[in-house]
Amino acid sequence: MTVSAVLILIGCQSEFPLNKDLTKQNYNFFNHDSVEISFPKINLGRITVIGFIYTHCPDICPMTTHNMFLTDQRLNNDGIDNVNFVLLTFDPDRDYPSILKKFAQIRDIEFDNWLLLWNTKQNTNLFLKRLNILAISTDSSYTDNGELNYYVMHTDRISLIDRKGHLRKNYKGSTVNLDELYNDIKTLGEY
Amino acid sequence: MITLLAFLFLFYSQENSLQVKNQWMRPGVKGMGTALYFEVENPTDKSDTLYKVTSEVSNMIQLHETYTKDDLVGMREVAEFVIEPGYSLELKPGGYHIMVMKLKSDIKKGDEIEFKLHFKNADSIIIRAKAK
Repeated sequence: MTVSAVLILIGCQSEFPLNKDLTKQNYNFFNHDSVEISFPKINLGRITVIGFIYTHCPDICPMTTHNMFLTDQRLNNDGIDNVNFVLLTFDPDRDYPSILKKFAQIRDIEFDNWLLLWNTKQNTNLFLKRLNILAISTDSSYTDNGELNYYVMHTDRISLIDRKGHLRKNYKGSTVNLDELYNDIKTLGEY
Repeated sequence: MITLLAFLFLFYSQENSLQVKNQWMRPGVKGMGTALYFEVENPTDKSDTLYKVTSEVSNMIQLHETYTKDDLVGMREVAEFVIEPGYSLELKPGGYHIMVMKLKSDIKKGDEIEFKLHFKNADSIIIRAKAK
């Protein structure tokens, strides 16, 4: 009986290799409606799936977003509607809240349980650093109209945060195994 | 007889020329960008090169690749895509793609957008890609 309990405990721990408390510091952001919120405080009591994107990214970031969208749909189909989904931009110079909102709307994302977050580069970087996420501007050029264009080299990441605001697991955002993410959410939430 | 010959010529031409299939794209917001994907088959005995894509939807379209370096992902412009004889080139998420920037209008799920693919040897090929 004791051995079984230990094995179960080890099994649960291996599913969630991290336990980093994100509530020790207050991170303020503006949501897609430009309302200031504190994260992860706003989502305490709910499981959060957070992805890191920039809207001028045509390939990897839409994959990450789509993976989260599909997971949300699957949870909804199973009657689980209290998981929150968050997208944080690491390109705040271009991704203002209104831009983020349009990015979500054109993908049929509903804002009942989704947040798109923005803050200045300095504040955003504080949070990114806490989650060991890198985002580096590369290959800049000017368009015919003189507009600066650049890409961002970045960590490809979706993270799972528990109800207490603890980071529990990271996934490769664009290629995450959707079954794994879904099952982890159900296990963590005891659904 | 002439009809039969015309049919055979058409059939032979189609079987022995570049074929583009499975084209699709992601939705995108006006002023921002999106990606176009497709597959090009080259059943001919000569290599061909896709060097440009044009469309009414944007004046800024580039050939791109996604790459990984030191656990980070990025993308960069490439000059051309070469399709060797007897082979296919697949543009797909996480790899080669056509980057469509500064969209002139929103592209919503279900919209179909026309693109012209420019090859060095073959004639240009026009495709319609559905956003999904």
